[in-house]
Amino acid sequence: MSDRRPGSRLTLWALAVPMMLIALSCLYPMLFALNNSFKTNKGYILDRFGLTTDPTFANYVQAWTRSNLDSYFLNSVIVTLGAVLCLLVSASLAGFALAVLRFPARKLVFIVILASLMIPVQVVLVPFYKTIIGIGLLNTRTGLILSYTAFFLPFSVYLMTAFYAGLPRELTEAARIDGARFWQVWWYVMLPMGTPALITLGILNTLYCWNDVLISLLVLQDKRTLMVGIAALRGEYTTNVPLLTAGIVLAAAPIVLIYIVFQRRIVTGIAAGAVKG
Amino acid sequence: MTVGKEERRVAFLFLAPALILVVAFRIVPLIWGAQLSLTDARGITPGAFIGLDNYRELVTDPAFRDSISNTLLLIATLPVWITVPMLLAILIHQGVPGGRFYRAVYFFPAILSSVIVGSIFNVLLRRDGQVNEVLGLLGIAPVDWLGNSSTALLSLIAVQLWATFGMSVLIFLAGLSTVPSEMIEAARLDGARLRHLIWFIIIPTLRPIIEFVAVVTTIGVLTSMFGLIYVLTAGGPGTSTTLPEFLIWIELGKLNRPGYAAAISMVLFAIMAGLAWLQIRIMSRNVHV
Amino acid sequence: MKLKMLLAATAMVLANAATAQELTVWDWKSGDPAAATYIEAAKKEFEAAHPGVTVNFVMQPHDQYYTLLGTALSAGSGPDVFLVHGGAQAKSRADALADLTAQSAGLAGLADFTADNGAVVALPITIQGFTVYYNKARYTEAGLDPANPPKTWDELKAACEAIKAKGAVPCFAMGNKEGFGSEFFVSALAASMLTPEEQAAFAKGELKWSSPKMKAILQAWVDTQAWGWYEEGANSMPKFMDEYEMFMRGDAANTIGLLSDVAHWKQFDDMLGAENVGAFRHPAPEAVVSGTDGGPMLPLAGGIGYGVNKAGANAALATELVQVLAAPGPIAVFAADAGILPANPAVDTSGLNSPTLATILPWTASAAAPMAHSNSSPEELEELHRQSQLLLNGEVTVDDAAARMDEVQAKAHGG
Repeated sequence: MSDRRPGSRLTLWALAVPMMLIALSCLYPMLFALNNSFKTNKGYILDRFGLTTDPTFANYVQAWTRSNLDSYFLNSVIVTLGAVLCLLVSASLAGFALAVLRFPARKLVFIVILASLMIPVQVVLVPFYKTIIGIGLLNTRTGLILSYTAFFLPFSVYLMTAFYAGLPRELTEAARIDGARFWQVWWYVMLPMGTPALITLGILNTLYCWNDVLISLLVLQDKRTLMVGIAALRGEYTTNVPLLTAGIVLAAAPIVLIYIVFQRRIVTGIAAGAVKG
Repeated sequence: MTVGKEERRVAFLFLAPALILVVAFRIVPLIWGAQLSLTDARGITPGAFIGLDNYRELVTDPAFRDSISNTLLLIATLPVWITVPMLLAILIHQGVPGGRFYRAVYFFPAILSSVIVGSIFNVLLRRDGQVNEVLGLLGIAPVDWLGNSSTALLSLIAVQLWATFGMSVLIFLAGLSTVPSEMIEAARLDGARLRHLIWFIIIPTLRPIIEFVAVVTTIGVLTSMFGLIYVLTAGGPGTSTTLPEFLIWIELGKLNRPGYAAAISMVLFAIMAGLAWLQIRIMSRNVHV
Repeated sequence: MKLKMLLAATAMVLANAATAQELTVWDWKSGDPAAATYIEAAKKEFEAAHPGVTVNFVMQPHDQYYTLLGTALSAGSGPDVFLVHGGAQAKSRADALADLTAQSAGLAGLADFTADNGAVVALPITIQGFTVYYNKARYTEAGLDPANPPKTWDELKAACEAIKAKGAVPCFAMGNKEGFGSEFFVSALAASMLTPEEQAAFAKGELKWSSPKMKAILQAWVDTQAWGWYEEGANSMPKFMDEYEMFMRGDAANTIGLLSDVAHWKQFDDMLGAENVGAFRHPAPEAVVSGTDGGPMLPLAGGIGYGVNKAGANAALATELVQVLAAPGPIAVFAADAGILPANPAVDTSGLNSPTLATILPWTASAAAPMAHSNSSPEELEELHRQSQLLLNGEVTVDDAAARMDEVQAKAHGG
């Protein structure tokens, strides 16, 4: 889809400059953290900004063992995968219903979903804790999966609704006229059509679940998640920055990987041909 | 009509998991919180019913009033939070040189937790930090960004924007995938310039997504900045970077006044609901009505 | 005969079943390598004395500690034992803590763990205090005698002038981003400026911030800034750990540091070398109280302590656990490995090897004064944080700041 008009091409090249600057500014802090992760604590205190003079992997080893990163890693993976799956399925179902289907009180349901997004988390903490204990899921990974789904659903439902609302009506109508039941419309039409949004949600929810510390701390006391282990490295007085940055690099690596692998799928367009038929 | 009935049944079935979880974990606590805001609870002692006294106290509390004026300033900057990521996404979508690289890198700040971002920028924004160094190359005198009441809030806003714009870019990119490419091609062949394409084709198609980003960004800045504020400025200097969410944490965690904290939460909720309603009214005359 | 044996056997089985318990302890220390040996020692000692009972230490990240604790306690399901800071936090959690007065005999620093009704709510583990640490090399460089640090306010002023004239480093490293710098300053001066009666009155909210003495402290805060004691940008430097890292790099001549845990003799000895670090008590303008050697007073307080959850199912057993956690055996391990000052005077600290510590230790007996800020209300402290920043920036006058502090103080103690 390249433009042959020289004017537009020039504009795009000119705009690339500030965009590149922004991109570099996004990279710099990660490099800063990476650089510091190879310093010793003393080395960091003496020279915070400079390049590592005597790189060491000791911080990574210490971060891994001290935060029980191997077992915590597994917990994070299980919980995140479970929660993201639940979120994607329930959000696309709900989004489909809200955006396309007709039923009474549709506006009210939408308002409830929206309102729940706005409830500050501190209001929710104590009743949430009581509920988790009440249904006997304290200190279980299932309980944490359920909690994440509950906390991140409103956002996901809202996005799927907005996305589906932007799709041409003819898609679903065509399928219904062909005799498809609603379940089939969802499975054969809404899911594929919703792929860009679902992948976006997949990435965002993976990020939220992976990075969460507070809910994880409340629900899981023994089998902890990765970011909790990293947060504990921070200690009361943040005495060891290199150790902390090593932990951060370890924790961020999976997300970076997932993002790089999946982000291209987000931009692929939907099969516009289906409508014309 | 059978079709209508089935449609209704299916709709409620599809919505059931979401609704149950949302009501149990969000709506019920909201009501509980509203009740709590009408008491003078301290520590874990339940506290007596005091009606609207907490709210009356809020009106006279200088810290709360400052947090509201800071909120107004924050809201005034919202258009930037929405249009910049949108334009960046559009440019990437339209094939700006290096677009794939930007697409990958813009998201990186979002991966870091706000505490990490705060720790990093604490160092970068210091009087002898890298930001002032760079500004020095341009001939600008060093500024104590976080230690001056006049610059602290803007610095905070800039850092949060930096940390979160990548997510909005991502969401806009997803929305852009629904823009019919034949329309763009046709318009181009007709001689349309880039800005016409943007204004007349892309933005209208993106309407529901723009509205989504507007509402969600508003909620995000009002409910997820605690970590950043805590590490970057601790609400100061004075109250120049104190926002309502931060006050809630102080009242709850340090001053141990759950009733008062709940009252601030209710006010915050009302503000967000009001803003969301406004944004939706302005933006959508289509979709889910 | 057989019946008796059967009954005895059943009783034993039942007794064992009843004692197959687990006690949960929440804190922010147990995962810290420096504290690991202490935790092990305490766990061993307790479990040996109580077969069938295991102790489970759950470490919470410090940032979230009080949020988690508050949530769990409010939901009615907190841990059996939990750690608290002395002062405002311990007192505001008093309604959830069991009364440990009976078990607290002989421990120092109890004042910071005593609730308004007089009950001791946690047993102190460490003693905390403020003293000035100084860099001997920087003193020599500025023409000052490193063996003779300032003993009076005028001497300190003169020392800072000399250091400023030399121009190499600021006199004091000051981190006031969260307002902690001001807390330390206020307590350090109040220790020598307020009589014990005045300290008590201040804790009760009767000695106002607008009183001549408290105002003088606020004025001194402003003055020291005007005299250029501190580096530029003090309001954006976090006290923990940036201020101390600045001192540890040798980029400041003095800093107000702690006695236990962190930012203390052990850490500074490590970074700067024991022969290069010294300590002196912070002098005050218009001092009215002095130690037995005529020098300034040392603000001292209980540091951290373990308390028992009043509503816990195993409160009695938990009480015994807390006593073990505060007992000489485990505490001696803590002191040796982590460099804390124990709250239990029965602990032998002679093995601790630091000339700076050797200077400081006698002061804890000869010049101890209450730590003013930890006896004040949390609301006042929050407001002090804000006002101190505005004062440093010159955005508010001392009179206005004091007036605002008065309002908050009155509300915290009366309304």
